Amino acid sequence: MSDDKHFNFLNVPREVQKTQTGPKRIANFREVYKPLKEIEASQQASRCIDCGNPYCEWKCPVHNHIPAWIKLLQKGRLFEAAELSHQTNSLPEVCGRICPQDRLCEGACTMNNDFGAVTIGSIEKYITDTAFELGWMPDVSGIKKVNKRVAVIGSGPAGLGCADILVRNGVAVDVYDKSPEIGGLLTFGIPNFKLEKEVIEKRRKVFKHMGIKFKLNTEVGKDILLPELLEKYDAIFLGMGTYTAITGDLPGLDLKNVHTGLDYLVSVNRFQLHYQDSAIDTKNERVVVLGAGDTAMDCNRTALRQGAEKVTCIHRGAMNSLRGSNRDFMNAQDEGTHFMWRLQALELVGKHGKVTGVRVGELKNSEIIQGSEKVIPVDRVIVSFGFAPSPAPWFVENNIGITKNGLIQAQSSRRLRGQTANEQIFAGGDMVRGSDLVVTAVFDGRNAAESILKYLEVGD
Amino acid sequence: MHSTPPNALDQLAKHGLYDPQHETDNCGFGMMVNVDDKPSHELVQRSIEALIRLEHRGAVAADGKSGDGCGLLLRMPEVFFRSIAKQENISLFEHFATGIMFIHPDKLKASQQLIESLLTDTPFEFSAWRTVPTDANAIGQYAHNSLPAIVQLFVNLPKAMPTAEAETRLYILRRQIEKALVDDPAFFIPSFSTQTICYKGLVTPEHIADFYLDLKNPEMASSICVFHQRFSTNTLPQWRLAQPFRYIAHNGEINTLRGNLNWAQAREKQFSSEFLNNIEEILPIVNAEGSDSQSLDNMVEALVRLADMPLYKAVRILIPPAWQNIKQMDSKLRAFYHYHAIHQESWDGPAGLVMTDGRYAVCTLDRNGLRPARWILTKENHLIVASEIGVYDCDPSNIAAKGRIGSGEMLAVDVKKGEILSSTDINDRLKTQQPYRKWLNEHLRSIKSRLTDYRFLESTIDPDKIDIYKKMFNITNEENEKVISVLAKQGKEAIGSMGDDCPLAILSHKIRPLYDYFRQYFAQVTNPPIDSLRESLVMSLETYFGQEENCYSESAIDARATMVSSPVLSCSKFDAVLNLEEDGFRHEYIDLNYPESMPWQTSLKKITDKAVRAIKSGKAILLLSDKNIRKGCLPVHALLATGAVHQHLLSIGLRAKANILLETATARDPHHFAALIAFGATAIFPYLAYACINHRFNMTNASSGKLYTLRKQYRTGINVGLFKVLSKMGISTIASYRASQLYEAIGLNPEVINLCFTGTTSRLKGIGFKTLQAEQSQLAKLAWRASQPIEQGGRLQYSFTGEYHAYNPDVVTALLRATKTGKQKDYDEYKAFVNQRPIAMLRDMFGLVSKPIALEQVEAVEKIYPRFDSAAMSLGALSPEAHEALAVAMNRLGARSNSGEGGENPLRYKTEANSKIKQVASGRFGVTAAYLVSAQIIQIKMAQGAKPGEGGQLPGHKVDEFIAGLRYSRPGIALISPPPHHDIYSIEDLAQLIYDLKQVNEHARIAVKLVSKPGVGTIAAGVAKAGADMITISGHDGGTGASPLTSTNNAGGPWELGLSEAHQVLMANGLRNRICLQADGGLKTGLDVVKAAILGADSFGFGTAPMIAEGCKYLRVCHLNNCATGVATQDETLRKNNFIGTPERVTNYFQFVAIEVRECLAQIGAKNINDVIGRVDLLEKLPAQSPKQSLIDLSAIIDGYAQFNGEIQHCTNNAPFDNASSVLMKQILNDVIPCVTDNKTAEFSYPLKNTDRSIAARLAGRIATLKGLAGIQQHPITLQFTGVAGQSFGVWNLAGMHLRLEGEANDYVGKGMNGGKITIYPSPEQDLPSNETPIMGNACLYGATGGEVFAAGKAGERFAVRNSGAIAVLEGVGDHCCEYMTDGTVLVLGETGRNFGAGMTGGLAYVLDMNREFVDRFNTESVLIDRLQAQNMEAYSNHLQSLIETYVEQTHSSWGQEILDDYYHYLSYFWLVRPIASRIDELIQNIKEPL
Repeated sequence: MSDDKHFNFLNVPREVQKTQTGPKRIANFREVYKPLKEIEASQQASRCIDCGNPYCEWKCPVHNHIPAWIKLLQKGRLFEAAELSHQTNSLPEVCGRICPQDRLCEGACTMNNDFGAVTIGSIEKYITDTAFELGWMPDVSGIKKVNKRVAVIGSGPAGLGCADILVRNGVAVDVYDKSPEIGGLLTFGIPNFKLEKEVIEKRRKVFKHMGIKFKLNTEVGKDILLPELLEKYDAIFLGMGTYTAITGDLPGLDLKNVHTGLDYLVSVNRFQLHYQDSAIDTKNERVVVLGAGDTAMDCNRTALRQGAEKVTCIHRGAMNSLRGSNRDFMNAQDEGTHFMWRLQALELVGKHGKVTGVRVGELKNSEIIQGSEKVIPVDRVIVSFGFAPSPAPWFVENNIGITKNGLIQAQSSRRLRGQTANEQIFAGGDMVRGSDLVVTAVFDGRNAAESILKYLEVGD
Repeated sequence: MHSTPPNALDQLAKHGLYDPQHETDNCGFGMMVNVDDKPSHELVQRSIEALIRLEHRGAVAADGKSGDGCGLLLRMPEVFFRSIAKQENISLFEHFATGIMFIHPDKLKASQQLIESLLTDTPFEFSAWRTVPTDANAIGQYAHNSLPAIVQLFVNLPKAMPTAEAETRLYILRRQIEKALVDDPAFFIPSFSTQTICYKGLVTPEHIADFYLDLKNPEMASSICVFHQRFSTNTLPQWRLAQPFRYIAHNGEINTLRGNLNWAQAREKQFSSEFLNNIEEILPIVNAEGSDSQSLDNMVEALVRLADMPLYKAVRILIPPAWQNIKQMDSKLRAFYHYHAIHQESWDGPAGLVMTDGRYAVCTLDRNGLRPARWILTKENHLIVASEIGVYDCDPSNIAAKGRIGSGEMLAVDVKKGEILSSTDINDRLKTQQPYRKWLNEHLRSIKSRLTDYRFLESTIDPDKIDIYKKMFNITNEENEKVISVLAKQGKEAIGSMGDDCPLAILSHKIRPLYDYFRQYFAQVTNPPIDSLRESLVMSLETYFGQEENCYSESAIDARATMVSSPVLSCSKFDAVLNLEEDGFRHEYIDLNYPESMPWQTSLKKITDKAVRAIKSGKAILLLSDKNIRKGCLPVHALLATGAVHQHLLSIGLRAKANILLETATARDPHHFAALIAFGATAIFPYLAYACINHRFNMTNASSGKLYTLRKQYRTGINVGLFKVLSKMGISTIASYRASQLYEAIGLNPEVINLCFTGTTSRLKGIGFKTLQAEQSQLAKLAWRASQPIEQGGRLQYSFTGEYHAYNPDVVTALLRATKTGKQKDYDEYKAFVNQRPIAMLRDMFGLVSKPIALEQVEAVEKIYPRFDSAAMSLGALSPEAHEALAVAMNRLGARSNSGEGGENPLRYKTEANSKIKQVASGRFGVTAAYLVSAQIIQIKMAQGAKPGEGGQLPGHKVDEFIAGLRYSRPGIALISPPPHHDIYSIEDLAQLIYDLKQVNEHARIAVKLVSKPGVGTIAAGVAKAGADMITISGHDGGTGASPLTSTNNAGGPWELGLSEAHQVLMANGLRNRICLQADGGLKTGLDVVKAAILGADSFGFGTAPMIAEGCKYLRVCHLNNCATGVATQDETLRKNNFIGTPERVTNYFQFVAIEVRECLAQIGAKNINDVIGRVDLLEKLPAQSPKQSLIDLSAIIDGYAQFNGEIQHCTNNAPFDNASSVLMKQILNDVIPCVTDNKTAEFSYPLKNTDRSIAARLAGRIATLKGLAGIQQHPITLQFTGVAGQSFGVWNLAGMHLRLEGEANDYVGKGMNGGKITIYPSPEQDLPSNETPIMGNACLYGATGGEVFAAGKAGERFAVRNSGAIAVLEGVGDHCCEYMTDGTVLVLGETGRNFGAGMTGGLAYVLDMNREFVDRFNTESVLIDRLQAQNMEAYSNHLQSLIETYVEQTHSSWGQEILDDYYHYLSYFWLVRPIASRIDELIQNIKEPL
């Protein structure tokens, strides 16, 4: 009875394949997860029972029509699947790689607890990658120009999401970014082993094909001033992210060989992309990473790949209190990260202006246990406690309201979501909601684009 | 008793949900004729006696004396009236006419004067008025309140006037009088004729002769008497609606009434009469105000009087037998029916008719044979026909012949010639009247599809534009994939599970198709749905094009028409229709696209004007097309256009001159097609559906052959769907469905209804043209925007951007958590998701008022639990673990679980896991006496919310060994319950089933489950009168089972409407306090419960929520058996490893709900639930959340309650209502029970008559209680009866009970028997050949699970339907024998009817086929037949022989003996009939030998 295809969730095991085991794969920076082969993709897809309450779609921040594209894939209708996948998400191949699926779609999947969730992330990645490989591109042939121009500032997930929707509606879009490549943190923050840079490059080509113009190496407020943009464009979207590292005012931050997580990752990425000649290098060093979010895991894993002697990750909480992706934690552990739990970093100690140790104390019920303090010897410390907003000085002068935390104030109402106090300016992503996932930034950008269309009365 | 004023119903009609148009009735009927035309008083007297013997088929009002009406229609007792005239000094000429008139007492004088004045212009001469002598003491209070003056008019006729002329002139005169007195609602002329006289009224049969003193007069003598007694659904019936009418007495219901009335109106001007200047003087021909039976009588009369047809012919045309699919029908006869079908749709529905025009006395049955009619002819040449045998006591030796009228058959007597005319005699007369065959050959053309026709396969729209079309017409990806593509791939509709949890269209925030505002009607209680799956031979979709001439004068030209086999056109047929170029067939193209700025009323006016102009210029086909979409224009919705054109043409008398043909993008699923046809469309070309199929499958490079097949399958799927829509309303042919308007509109404004859907019920009002147009405009905007993707959907499964779902992931996950943890804060979170959801159901539009009292004052939760039932979910649909846990949980709470329809493991009966509610559904799976006596409540499922009008489905992969065992079926074979209960074709049948159930289990309360629809209140009143103790009103938003998607989403209404209607109508009839009312459908929280209570519910049913408590995640895959939570699957792995449900989780849920109920009660200041029932003042209307919602008018729901303020509005009667004790039953119990307890074998004998019903069921129930299912096998009891058994002889019989009957029996012999033996044989004095003589009625052995029946005679229709284990031997059967049999053996030693073995999946049958006709009579799709002589058949041949031996031993049948005497000769005439999937070598192993 149970040999029919409706029972594949029982008969076919959930499978997510990595290229190599942890210790082996740190020899390089290649993506950790193996792309699915055609047959695997279709088998894994067949585990989805297309249930009446797709919890995956419900939990997905952009509400991808997951069961529908899984079904299309299963039936070999790959291009339709890619098309549908792009209907709700501007960067599906990116999200398929770096979303914390275990907390989102796969975590909610009907099959999750008892049978192993459907491998939604890998399938999502497979669909777009393969469609691109086979020559598919979003169809923009029917788009009619509407004689409206919008500037998008920041080419991270929010900006790209916004540009995607606008260009599909015939709006002329220029995307400004201070960096030499698009993607923001996708390119410069996230390590290659999670998201290979070719992916963003391909995506840039796709967007260019769709008609988006990128003005790179152009920093607004420096290379070009906002009033000029306001003059030139009918509307402006700000998607500039949050870059200010939270450091917790830890004594000793000014010592040498102490970095913020993002600085470290950016340095490595820029180096690998040949935008700079060297990077912060942890080879043969004892590295301590403070914090246990996704960025911290990225730092751990990058350091291991650079050939660090020992990478220790220190976290205040217990193992089961991690807020980040469980998958990233597991990978970091696999690859050799040494985790220390319930430890509070109290001070960075150094010699000759260079860090040599981290003084820590054990925590119990948020209190330091008396006498538990000790110093962990280090060669380098990476502080990764998260990010705070980085409002630009020109926000205020252009009537863009900000909260007391430095986040941009934007409408949350249905009508013109993302509009700032300056009605010509919209914003979304981390700079509005605070540091969050890539996928939520995409969602915000797309929503803001819809608002911009309404504001510009496009399509009415 | 109570103080409801008699006019409570009138009040409700004005301010509530009651609508008199939903009144229906069923009844007992018959006729008695002296074939030699010798009038006698005895005939009149014995007719009345017969009527009294049928009293159990009628009903009595709450006053105990007012009947629902009965009456007699007599051939004119001329001698009697001459004698009266003499006594009363009335002058009567050689020819006279007389009429009985009901006149309002206050208007008597004036009316009489007016009638006299109308007489002056006629050739008739006024003679006298006579007050008909009556005795008002013979009627009850209700009847008395509306008693009219009953007077008799005598007129004299000119000498030379022929009878036909006199009758037609009297008819015309009567119409003129009726029109002149239209303002008197009491006015009615029961008869006005030279040939007949009618006595009728609101009186019970036993008092009719006390009331009408004429009937007692020994001089009152007649040779024809047609008699009838009514069982109407309300208790305030009307005098004028008593039957018989002027020609007919009708037992049944015209399902297609609205359409028939429409078409009668469309064609009435074609009538003419030489005695009439202008037909307008007597229009309308058919009165739409009375009852369906009365309308039919009007139509028959018009055909007889104005088209000059003999009575029997008129009736054959209006109610034809099945002919389209009857291959072996005589070709000339088929031509007769075919010719008439072109212009006369049948008046479709269950019907038994007896009638007379004074010369012919006729009885006929509809094509489905859904009413019983048995006849006997005595040696004195008296013919008696009645619903039952035994109403006329007659010495067996005095019987010359006996018979049964079969499906679609007719029996007539011509007293003038002294002839009895059989069906064949009548057919022979009909078919030779005109050269119909020749006419058809010359003028009827048929557009046939070629075997393979690859032309026209390319899409008729530009592939680049398909997305624009999809967006313009609101096709989502979901609809494309899950509806259209599935139809194309499978040739049938997609199946879904878990009902419909989306808002009604009017409540939705999304743009919904106009079709979503229409809910399909379905048959329920007063009429049966048809089993279109197994009885497809009565179904037809044949459709005709062409302009109608005068169809009431038979001529060759009326055969001119173009026929297609289905109204769903392929491209090539569409092309062929458009290429018809002759007069009478040319078409006019009418574009439905109009400028965006033009209001739709104006556009519709232009469309209708164009249609009128086209017709006037000679066009006969109006092609309404929405295909030419263009920017700046909007397509007016095809359904609006169809309705507007149809209604307009109807109103100006042009409707019969044209057909409406649609080329529309809006028609995609069967519901769409059905709605278009129901509002007037002739045929539909669904171009966008085809384009979608092309588009969808071209992507995978479909070859043209494949594409051809896909499109063809799509049409097949639609056709099958149409059959289902028709059959769920009990309609056989699309012609009768066309313009029938069998829909309720929910959310449409009267302006839309009046212009496009005139007369359609729309109780909540709602959106008008402006909103409809604005929504289309919105769609158009998106359609033309290239960047706008096609919407994903979300109607069928949750999608973030799609429709709201009441069981969305938030709700389900929160409920799962709350029931798991049992923590109040988790329930509070769940409660918030539900109680604060956006308005999705009607109840969400109300809040509770706030006038709090302390919580401690409110009744305890323990008082509330007994009001909670879990809804019926079968063991089979649910896993045994889930089913059992639910039962345990409900029992622990003191609430009740419902077994559902799949039987129950007998090991559970006396344990904590026993379901206190046992369901009886149409499939009768595992319904045995033991099952029934284990119940506190027995629920008869008439309909279920997810698919009213259809039976439950259990896919084959869920039928494992265990489930099959409980259901007495075969593992792996899908079980689809029949749409009808084969023992409930009418309300009196339901009363009989209730009686059967109360016989077997006198302690159980009988519940009847209904689904909300307009008129459910009237049905509920009828059900209450039928003796039920409880009624469940299910809403469309419930439902857990597997069901075709269009059924789930488009049939049945919200329970809020049904419940309030039922409550109000029951109150108005004084019946509310004797019946418990339950609401069921999507109930989730305590707030839901309290709102339901306020709207009238005593009790509450929960389906989905307790399932979720058991771990169900609402995956909606129940039909696939792969339920990942182990709740709705039989898969062992999933059940073992993944089922997490426990009784505790379920009790957690109900505890939370009960706690919340208390809180709500405290909030509204009520101490208990009884205090809030009917108290709509405790509700407050909440603000609307959308412009559409703000247009809803809830006053229809709310206003009706006001008049009952201060009355007791809840059920006060906790004991079951007992209408089932009989003297004989008590006698049998007294005699037998001691033997049972002492384990003694014994024999007793008793006489029987037809009023002794359900004989021995009480004994079976007692034995089942004492001994269980095994019965008294070891110490059998024999009961010997003599006489005529009433209905349900041997029902629920058990092992060890041997019933022997010398005489004969009525319907339902051995129904539901599980063991024992029933032997019936004729009286030795009766000298009729047993193999030609009926010995029992219809639906015998229905749902039997074991036991044996031996009957020396013939049975009626549907013998052994749903038999799953009994062995039967008899000498002849009617149509549909062994239908859907799953086990057992049936041996027929003689003739069978048609459609033998339809849907048979188990067991076997033997048929003796002496005339070699059986090859045309068995169902070739379901069974195979084999001869028995071959070597390898020896085992069967031996088995057959031993069966016959046993049979002869039991019955002493001489025919049986004859066969045994020459066995090897007869053997060569036998067939073995077996299921198509069976193997000859295995079949024999499963055979049970008779004991």
